[in-house]
Amino acid sequence: MNVKKMTLDGLLYQNPVLVQMLGLCSTLAITTSLFNGIGMGLSVTAILICSNVMISALRKFIPSSIRIASYIVIIAGFVTVVDLLLQAFLPTLSENLGVFIPLIVVNCIVLGRAEAFASKHGVLASALDGLTQGIGYTIALVLMCVVRELLGSGTFGGGILNGGEGIRILPEELGATLMIMPVGGFLTLGCLIAAAQWLMNRRKKEARE
Amino acid sequence: MKAIVSLAVRLLVITVAVAAALAGVNAVTAERISAAEAEKVQQAIVSVLPGCTDIEQVEGAEFDLVTAIYSTSLGYAVQVEPQGFGGAITMVVGVGTDGCVTGVEIVSHSETAGLGAKAAASTGEGPGFRASFIGLSGEVTVSKDGGQADTLTSATITSRAVAEGVSAALATAAAMEEGAQ
Repeated sequence: MNVKKMTLDGLLYQNPVLVQMLGLCSTLAITTSLFNGIGMGLSVTAILICSNVMISALRKFIPSSIRIASYIVIIAGFVTVVDLLLQAFLPTLSENLGVFIPLIVVNCIVLGRAEAFASKHGVLASALDGLTQGIGYTIALVLMCVVRELLGSGTFGGGILNGGEGIRILPEELGATLMIMPVGGFLTLGCLIAAAQWLMNRRKKEARE
Repeated sequence: MKAIVSLAVRLLVITVAVAAALAGVNAVTAERISAAEAEKVQQAIVSVLPGCTDIEQVEGAEFDLVTAIYSTSLGYAVQVEPQGFGGAITMVVGVGTDGCVTGVEIVSHSETAGLGAKAAASTGEGPGFRASFIGLSGEVTVSKDGGQADTLTSATITSRAVAEGVSAALATAAAMEEGAQ
């Protein structure tokens, strides 16, 4: 188990959003304020770790012909648990994320890691994979949120800082509604993917020289 | 044959285990969730009819869009669910004994963040928009349709939905009042 490589993979080289392009639906939909991004990121991370550990532990018990059905049942179980816990203890976050929490069930990151990693590796490695991939997803979401919130509403930290209003950086009139709409999500995501590619190419070049 | 049974049994084991775990979590959270929801509605009722007492749910009456009716010392609080841009908007409308709107509170919604969601916000256009319904009666429409209530900037569909909900609540309160006499 190569901890350093797995961490770097999760954060950059195999970042679920920016490189694997998984889970884009929720990425585009909920990244309008920092609170949503962190909440969604941590929810997915928790579910990823739990489902990876469980699927890895059961990998010898689950026959390959029914593995997808089994994975979905296990993932759906964890998602529902998180959904219920959020509704009970963090109702505001649950309201903001709305339908996207139940939709984590079909989030390709969770199923993708189950199939590509957890079903072939040990419990500890799978837990680490869930953690690093989850953090990579969270970082991508947070970056999206910061950019869209700043350009769209002119604030930083919406939902958490300054009593939930966020700290105003640009005057309200400057906010471009476009950035809050789905189209702003696509624009931001495109720029972030380009930035990630640039960073990876630069690191590769440096390694060669 | 044996292989198929083995598959089915394993899937069954997994499903039963997951269902049991969910039942456990549900048992812990169900009470908190319904308490939080009831609390929210109570708060909304008090904020649309400030100072009201004797809140009682009216059973057995059914009207379009209306999901619950509460009678209070100061009039009716009607919970309505008009269709907004992103789905149903759950809101509570206070109707005073004079048949005019005393307040509008949005309990939950799934409108677009930054646009339709402004209707429920406690800052920006939200409070002024909700307050613009106060004192209205009869069929309520928004300014974009020539009515008296405000229209939220770039959220006309949400604004119309809220107006539709308010109209339904007013009609309900009027019908209840008639029935009571």
